[in-house]
Amino acid sequence: MDLEDVIGYTLRIGVIISVALIAAGVVLLVVRPPAPHMLQQLSNPRSLINTSLVSPAQVLSGSAGLNGMDVILLGLIVLIATPVLRVAIGIVQFARERNYIYVIITSIVLFNLFFAIFIIPILLK
Amino acid sequence: MLDALLLFAVLALTSLAAGFMGSLTGLGGATFLVPIYVLFLGIPIQYAAGASLISTIATSSGAGSAYVRDRVTNVRIGMSLEIATTSGSIVGSLTAAWVYAHNLQHAIYIVFAVVLLGSIYTQITRSKYELPKPMPPDRWTKWLQLHGRYYDPALGREVDYHGVRWWLGELIMFAAGVISGLLGIGSGALKVLGMDWAMNLPMKVSTTTSNFMIGVTAATGSSIYWFFGYIQPFFAAATAIGVLAGSFVGSKVLLRLRNVTIRYIFMAILAILGVQMLLRGLGLYP
Repeated sequence: MDLEDVIGYTLRIGVIISVALIAAGVVLLVVRPPAPHMLQQLSNPRSLINTSLVSPAQVLSGSAGLNGMDVILLGLIVLIATPVLRVAIGIVQFARERNYIYVIITSIVLFNLFFAIFIIPILLK
Repeated sequence: MLDALLLFAVLALTSLAAGFMGSLTGLGGATFLVPIYVLFLGIPIQYAAGASLISTIATSSGAGSAYVRDRVTNVRIGMSLEIATTSGSIVGSLTAAWVYAHNLQHAIYIVFAVVLLGSIYTQITRSKYELPKPMPPDRWTKWLQLHGRYYDPALGREVDYHGVRWWLGELIMFAAGVISGLLGIGSGALKVLGMDWAMNLPMKVSTTTSNFMIGVTAATGSSIYWFFGYIQPFFAAATAIGVLAGSFVGSKVLLRLRNVTIRYIFMAILAILGVQMLLRGLGLYP
């Protein structure tokens, strides 16, 4: 199996896991709401519940406790992480081909992603 | 509880239709979705943009797994242009956050209207030729190895190609990234323009490579949207599932559908949404 196939599988598995988590989260939300009126609050168009309130650490612990909203958010995190992983595999791929200029180019792209994910929240906090 | 489930169903079905139209036009589901959410479902534009941007990652990865297998996507060209789209997306998302913080949503409506109406133009002038007229390679072609080959089943042969004017492509991609972050769409139309027109690449290569790039660009913007709280989990869940299903159906139909009328219907929808967004932006729409 060459790396192109690895990339194809990464994308597919990433999407499948994330859709499964999102769907499971919605079911959990309906079957056992984490708090009373949670669904009403979530289904109000001007709902105040959004991602600015939850940290990734909370998402993990909440998902372990089968909190529907956190399971949905975990699915969204997997979705965002899939292209990041794909870029990281790209660096390995170019390094194997000894295509150094593209190792540098792909590293810059990965840096931009990390900048948006980790550094901007720290800078703006 | 019933209200919540009904809303979920409405959002998922709307997203399914948007994903379907987005896949057939090559514009991506978000282009249709954001205006429909804002104009007809009364969802604040931040949440509409957040849900849409997340959904473009799903379609990009979903379609990408098939394209990679066919080996049409040019990973080198895509990656070299991603430097510009990811940088643009950071600038665009931060600009969006600034705009929302200052209650200048109207500006977003107007920019969105321009993009919608501009997309009609790209639909009309869509290249009639499968392959571009060859242009001599320039220094970028050699330096960044902007060449490739793929098997084209329509032509029944291997096609060799190379890209030129990388700097121009890079500039257009930066703009595409800014638009993507600002409006929460994939801005595939601008990406294809950058590769088709600026870099003189065959349409098949630019379409599939653009699809690959959209996921990485949207992942950049989404993480900034996450931080600012533009992602509402319930809306994003319905949207991601709906758009993914819609674009999957669209991609299956696309192979069989060679209908011109349906293109006109989509253009009419784009025009209606564009005019309404413009009116809303100018404060003339209730």
